[in-house]
Amino acid sequence: MTIPLTDRELKKGSAELLILSLLKDRPRHGYEIGQLIELRSRGALRFNVASLYPLLYRLETRGWIRGRWVEKSGQRRRRYYRLTPAGKKILAAQRDGWREFVEAVGRITGIEYA
Amino acid sequence: MPDFKTEIRRLIAELNLSPEHEAEIVEELSQHLEEQFEKAASEGASEEKAKQLALEELIQPCSLSAQLKRVKMPSRLPSLAVGANKTSQRFAGFWDDIRFGIRMLRKQPGFAVVAILTLGIGIGASTAMLSLVQDVLLRPLPYAHSNRLYAIWASSESTGQSQVAASGPEFVDYLEQNRSFAHIAEYLPLFTFTWTGDGEPKLVNCTAASEQFFTMLGIRPYLGRLYEPHEYTYLENDTLVVSYRFWKNQLGGDPHVIGRVVHFEGQNQTIVGVLPPMSDLFPNTDVWPKLTIRPSWPYMQWRVNKFLRLVGELRPGVTTAMTEEDLTAILRRVPEEPRDVRVHLVPLKDDLVGSVRMPLYATLGAAALILMVAGINVAALLLARMVKRESEIAIRLSLGAGLPRIAQQLVTESMLLSAIGCTVGLLIAWSVLRLLARVPNLPLPRMDSVHLNGPALLVTIAIATAMTVVFGWISSVGFSRLNLFSALRPRGLGITGRRGLSLALLVIGEIACAVVLTVSVCLLVHSFWRVIHVDPGFQPQSLLRVYLRTNYYGENGRAFWKGVLTEAASLPGVRHVALSDWRPGRDAATATFVFEDRPNDPTRLRSGEGSWVSDDFFRTVGTSLIAGRFFTQHDDDKAPPVVIINDEAARRFWPGQNPIGKRVGVNYTGPGRRSEAAPRLREIVGVVGNIRHDSLDAPPAPAVYLPYLQDETNHDMATMSLFLRAVGNVMALADSVRDRIHAVEPNQPVQNVQSVADMVSQSIATRRYTLILVGVFAAVGLLLAAVGVYGVISYATSQRSREFGIRMALGATRGQLVSHVLRSSAALTAFGSMVGIVGSLLLTQSFSSLLFEVSPLDLFSFTTAVMLLAFVSVGASLLPACRAARVDPIVAMRSE
Repeated sequence: MTIPLTDRELKKGSAELLILSLLKDRPRHGYEIGQLIELRSRGALRFNVASLYPLLYRLETRGWIRGRWVEKSGQRRRRYYRLTPAGKKILAAQRDGWREFVEAVGRITGIEYA
Repeated sequence: MPDFKTEIRRLIAELNLSPEHEAEIVEELSQHLEEQFEKAASEGASEEKAKQLALEELIQPCSLSAQLKRVKMPSRLPSLAVGANKTSQRFAGFWDDIRFGIRMLRKQPGFAVVAILTLGIGIGASTAMLSLVQDVLLRPLPYAHSNRLYAIWASSESTGQSQVAASGPEFVDYLEQNRSFAHIAEYLPLFTFTWTGDGEPKLVNCTAASEQFFTMLGIRPYLGRLYEPHEYTYLENDTLVVSYRFWKNQLGGDPHVIGRVVHFEGQNQTIVGVLPPMSDLFPNTDVWPKLTIRPSWPYMQWRVNKFLRLVGELRPGVTTAMTEEDLTAILRRVPEEPRDVRVHLVPLKDDLVGSVRMPLYATLGAAALILMVAGINVAALLLARMVKRESEIAIRLSLGAGLPRIAQQLVTESMLLSAIGCTVGLLIAWSVLRLLARVPNLPLPRMDSVHLNGPALLVTIAIATAMTVVFGWISSVGFSRLNLFSALRPRGLGITGRRGLSLALLVIGEIACAVVLTVSVCLLVHSFWRVIHVDPGFQPQSLLRVYLRTNYYGENGRAFWKGVLTEAASLPGVRHVALSDWRPGRDAATATFVFEDRPNDPTRLRSGEGSWVSDDFFRTVGTSLIAGRFFTQHDDDKAPPVVIINDEAARRFWPGQNPIGKRVGVNYTGPGRRSEAAPRLREIVGVVGNIRHDSLDAPPAPAVYLPYLQDETNHDMATMSLFLRAVGNVMALADSVRDRIHAVEPNQPVQNVQSVADMVSQSIATRRYTLILVGVFAAVGLLLAAVGVYGVISYATSQRSREFGIRMALGATRGQLVSHVLRSSAALTAFGSMVGIVGSLLLTQSFSSLLFEVSPLDLFSFTTAVMLLAFVSVGASLLPACRAARVDPIVAMRSE
């Protein structure tokens, strides 16, 4: 089952964490980010254009990521997003918070998370 | 592919974004949708279905514009692409230009290699020479108040002496009476001590200095202490200060060396101090004995003994002119001094390194010319290459690139070229300096401190920057008026117009520089040829010299010297042996003369060179007898005193007369003389040829030779040279000579055994190395000029192949075409040579001191240089000329 990510979920911050995590290792463009979320969640999560790009722009406004057009020879130019130093800090903080949340949920529901 | 852009634009229209912003969002999102569409289509969805899926992305789960409305849109970074926005993309464009420049260089590896090597050689040569000049000539001495340290010399026009050292009493006069110096000291470099008792007997090099010397220079001991004031109040050397070099090399760097007793001059002496490394001040010195003033050795108390060197530190605010007046007045109070005697000051640094000033500056000049030729060469190559790039530039211009953008690209490319050239140049400079440091016996002071240094690097960087600008400018010559039509249309007939003229001027400049270099080197070669063909007045081949510093003084040494002569003469293969205090390649001691046949003004005694010799001296060294006889065994202390004079003395003192039988008193001055007795009159028994005692390029001076057994002044004669004339390889005798001398005296140091031919050749080492360096530079300059001429002529002929085709079709022969091309190269050469000759006339005057019996306007050198250059230049254009003539008229006319 595919769960379209809604605004409410975005507000909770989990979607932000997903994007920041994906940009941790290298810059990526929007389509790639969308594809990777879908792929790595084995189709469980997916962004629509109407959600993904506004979110990217918001993260950019906050100064956590930075987008830039890059032209490579033989290809059309694409907008690549990379993590800013501020974004890296946020990512680290959110990861800790998320782990605590997951552990708390696990303790309550009795579900084991690997 | 469906048009998603319109849809996106429609959806976000209500947001009223700026057009640029909107366009970016549309571009980014439509890309996403297109990929989505392609993916769906590739997974088997129909086109309609795929389009619908993609469009749903925009409205589900909520509408794009609603989402976007809540985002305050971020400010955008400029794109990392070329050509989108001109002002904000300098940086991006720069890297692109660099990449493009590298591509251009790689596309034409021949051009790249020639240009980079040419620049590298020019920059390398000049950076290396600048480093040398900076470290050897310009770097201040590392001593306290080094800018106020001056060497003190006297001169007198009437006696023809330009640089006279001081006597002991003179120094005391200056010390007591001068009002100009804060400190003044005397020193005596370049003498030797014997060192025995520690293995093989050895010699050590000494520089003696008086009390204020070390204080004045601010030198502090590295270990132990310097001499204390009371130690300057007695003559014996029972304490010793040694140099860093000696401590390190001979005493094994022993940290507990202070207090060690060594056996110098047959006496026990205690080492009390080690000096720090001093590469500027007689770096070969092993031991620094003290030089005392009161008391002093007898020979230091005679005014005729002028062998002491003086150095003083001016008081602050005192000028050299005032000091020279002050000291001259003091010196003129001495009745024996010539009336016109003058004291002059030389900055201490110049005094120590002055002998290499001209050779170094000449070589630096040659290196600068190389750099100029190299620069011109690269400029010409660039200019020629630019013509080929005209169409590329024209297309860029017509596609909307501004002239500044094109100029930026060209400057970046030339910067790339000069940066690589600089790097190669620095590598070359570094290697050249490394190589020079390894040359044995390089007659260059302060060499061990020479390295690639800051100022030289700065100059190199400045040159590279200048080249960047000039090359960039040269490249863009003519582009400002370039239009698409003229650039893209088939090429015309060869180099004409502004660029053609620039090319021609560059080649002329290059040839002119090469002419100056070649003329200079021809002058040096001609001088060198003259020097090595100077008759030295003796036969240095098959002649061995053994330097013997003994502890025997005066008559005590007679038995030793006699024993050495007998032993050496009995060696197999030895024809003649003799003793003399003359050291080949070094100036002989000074003697003043009192003539019996004329009145002698004591203030203007004639002087010349003097040597003590044993009877077989002239046969041993191979000097010819002109009149009279040589000395014999019977000219000893019991026989009437005799003297042999050289040809120069005969001509100067007895012009047109026979000097044989005349009588002359010889005052043999210099260190080691031990009584001031008036000289006896000696009968002249022979006239011999002029021996060049000093280096070959020093003019012959009047000289006298005295039998060493007839010495009324009780001269100490502790140091003599043994000369052996033998058949075959004289150096093979070295070991047996050493054994024979040790048979006479086991403790005698026998260190310097040299072939006299080597010593003579070493005496002109500065000249030889100058010639080699300038010669190498001139050869490189010629080669570069040849490359330049070749490049330009072959470029010009290739541009004219159409014209040549037409000419051939109209009946011109190949020979006519070849001569046509050669004529234009000859014209360039002729112009260049003329400019070069004028330049040479102006420049060669400045290094006339490096020449020997050759005028700076020497016709031979000028003719040779111009002919050589004409040959090289025409030779370089022969190949392109022949290539042009071999061209097939049909092919040539069809080309382009």
